[in-house]
Amino acid sequence: MLLKNTINELIKIIAKPRSYIGFGALTLLIGVILLAMKADGKSFISFVTASFEQTLSFNGEILNGNLMAFVILQMLIIHVPLLVALVTGDLVSGEAAMGTLRMMATKPISRSAILGSKLLAGAIYTLLLTLWMAFMAYGVGQWMFGSGDLIVLNNDGLVIIPSDDILWRYLYGFGLAYLALLAIASMSICFSVFSDNSIGPIVSTMSVIILFTIIGSLDVSSFHSIQPFLLTTHMSAWRSLFEMPVPVGDILNSVYILIAHIIGFTGIALWKFNKKDINT
Amino acid sequence: MKTLFLTSVFLLLAIISRAQTADELLNQLVSKLEKVADYSANVLIKADIPLIKILPSKAKIYFKSPDKFKVVSKGIAILPKQGFTDMNIFLSQPDEYMVVLAGDKLIEGKQTKLLTVIANSSESDIILLKLWVDPIDLLIMAAEVTTRSSGNVKVSYQYAAQKQFGLPSAIEFKVNVKEFKMPKSIASNPHRKSSNKTEKRKMGTISLELSDYKVNQGIADSFFVK
Repeated sequence: MLLKNTINELIKIIAKPRSYIGFGALTLLIGVILLAMKADGKSFISFVTASFEQTLSFNGEILNGNLMAFVILQMLIIHVPLLVALVTGDLVSGEAAMGTLRMMATKPISRSAILGSKLLAGAIYTLLLTLWMAFMAYGVGQWMFGSGDLIVLNNDGLVIIPSDDILWRYLYGFGLAYLALLAIASMSICFSVFSDNSIGPIVSTMSVIILFTIIGSLDVSSFHSIQPFLLTTHMSAWRSLFEMPVPVGDILNSVYILIAHIIGFTGIALWKFNKKDINT
Repeated sequence: MKTLFLTSVFLLLAIISRAQTADELLNQLVSKLEKVADYSANVLIKADIPLIKILPSKAKIYFKSPDKFKVVSKGIAILPKQGFTDMNIFLSQPDEYMVVLAGDKLIEGKQTKLLTVIANSSESDIILLKLWVDPIDLLIMAAEVTTRSSGNVKVSYQYAAQKQFGLPSAIEFKVNVKEFKMPKSIASNPHRKSSNKTEKRKMGTISLELSDYKVNQGIADSFFVK
């Protein structure tokens, strides 16, 4: 029953035009970034290496597909949640607004299964969006720029990773990005359960992300104790895969925190949905 | 008075003869280096530079006299900006500098002479060049290059098979890295704060191991066009 209802939910997602906004936006955004880098990527690189180039010369193809995927992932990881929330934030509240949720609840399927199927459909949609982002950023990037060593600028300096040591980092990196987006999806579905209109959960999700991102990026001592617990801090965990040596403990900690968020939001959503008085 | 005059003349002659020796030694060295019209070599680059983490990388270097130089590498290779070909180019223009003999030093069991080469022009990027030269084999054993653009670079050389051309089998550069600054806007990783261990070293080392030299076999100018 859960599987059949999940398929129904996926059909509903496919039927909604807004579901394609994410794919279209990603294609356009990544396409623009790749074309801009193809045209003027050298100046971007010199901005990164300028401080070093007075003394050192960097030889070889710095501007390559691996760097492009890194730049794109870094640019988009904060913005893709909006594209996810646009669909997942509407899964429950959208039906409540249309009046179809009441009818669904009259069918011989438990409320937990209804919400579970929506969560599963949301997870599948998020997976497809992540795969599309990976294809555009890594696949198209490699096709346009070729492979090569990856030069990454992090808090402690420049890290140069050999090309044959990169693919696994991206596989795990996109996996971590998916986990982060899944946490966002579960949060927006949780908000969606509390709302009877589509806009509220989407705007609430984005507000939380913006607020957390600002708190996370401000170097103010009073925020330092909060920062390790923010969802947005752990959304950047993929970036730590591109350090040498890889801080496995920190990454695993982020994985646990993201999973805890997913379980927490799902639990709250299930609790609320089972108790919800569906009037619309 | 007579004694003072004779002493002054003697000292002047001594300085002139010493200067001539410096010029002669440098001329002999430059002549030896100019025997190399072109070369290519495989190079293994090991860099130990504060704020940069990079594994050893392989590259191939190509040089064509007087000033063409190209590095071909599959990955990213870091080389010092100064102390490679710019020194040879500078030395090949004798009108651009004056040279004095400034002492002796034992380097790797060899008695070397220190040649201090001072740029005449205020426009020249190289301001001062100190060369520790083995006068018997006519080899540069160590050098210190001071430039306007990138400060001071210390270089030490080792020689093997290509000794007769003055081409080293190993070079070690010590570069000054105190000016490195990180652009925080793009370096920031919110997931991990910067480590508490601040890098206090001011000097970085780049070691090159050169092998498979191909000397004077001809390299087309077009090869060096980017």
